[in-house]
Amino acid sequence: MAENRGGMRPTAPQNNPANVSGTGGAGQSGNYTGFAYGQNQTVNNQRIEGNQAMASAQAATPSAPASPYEGINMPQLGTLFDPTTRPDEPITAGVDFGPGPGSEALSKNLMNNTRIDENAKIAQQYLPDLAYAAKSPDAPDSFKRFVNYLVENAQVMNPNG
Amino acid sequence: MVDAAWAPGSLFDNIDKFANSLGYQNAGIVMELSMMSWKSTDDRDAFITSVTGQDPQGGTEKNYIKRNY
Repeated sequence: MAENRGGMRPTAPQNNPANVSGTGGAGQSGNYTGFAYGQNQTVNNQRIEGNQAMASAQAATPSAPASPYEGINMPQLGTLFDPTTRPDEPITAGVDFGPGPGSEALSKNLMNNTRIDENAKIAQQYLPDLAYAAKSPDAPDSFKRFVNYLVENAQVMNPNG
Repeated sequence: MVDAAWAPGSLFDNIDKFANSLGYQNAGIVMELSMMSWKSTDDRDAFITSVTGQDPQGGTEKNYIKRNY
């Protein structure tokens, strides 16, 4: 009589490709082994409790409001060409020309005068062309004065010319 | 013959008008506004008047250049 000692058995659970354990291997119980005597059960109990805790946890249901600013009373933004919402305030309020208060009306964090640096950069960038235009016999003196102003600004930035 | 670069509404004409109307210290704004495409010099001058409350300045004197560039 032929003796059946096992060997490769295709129907065995470990050969079922659909039988995959989360801890690796096929057809395994998923229990950890290899810890010191008495610790395997403790570790596996902790794993089971952890899995149960995770299974009972529910993802937060999305509950974002339809409008993130709901409840905040904000005026609707208009376009550049809409009529002013501050009809009593001149358009030049806050600048040093035209009607209305000048730059002294601005808050201090808006008072940082960057125009000197800005003018120096403009002088460097455009001065060659502007100076050439100023040489034209049709160039008005008012334009030449402006070019002179930029020349002085450029010299402030770069004293060596 | 008039230099085309100085025709009314040209870039240099715009620079002259804006610089003398808004102030030399506002050179940044002057250059930005001068490079805008204005429909006409009337539109540009109306803008200057609305901003400054005065007629556009500059562009009336045509004398010699006072400085060697």
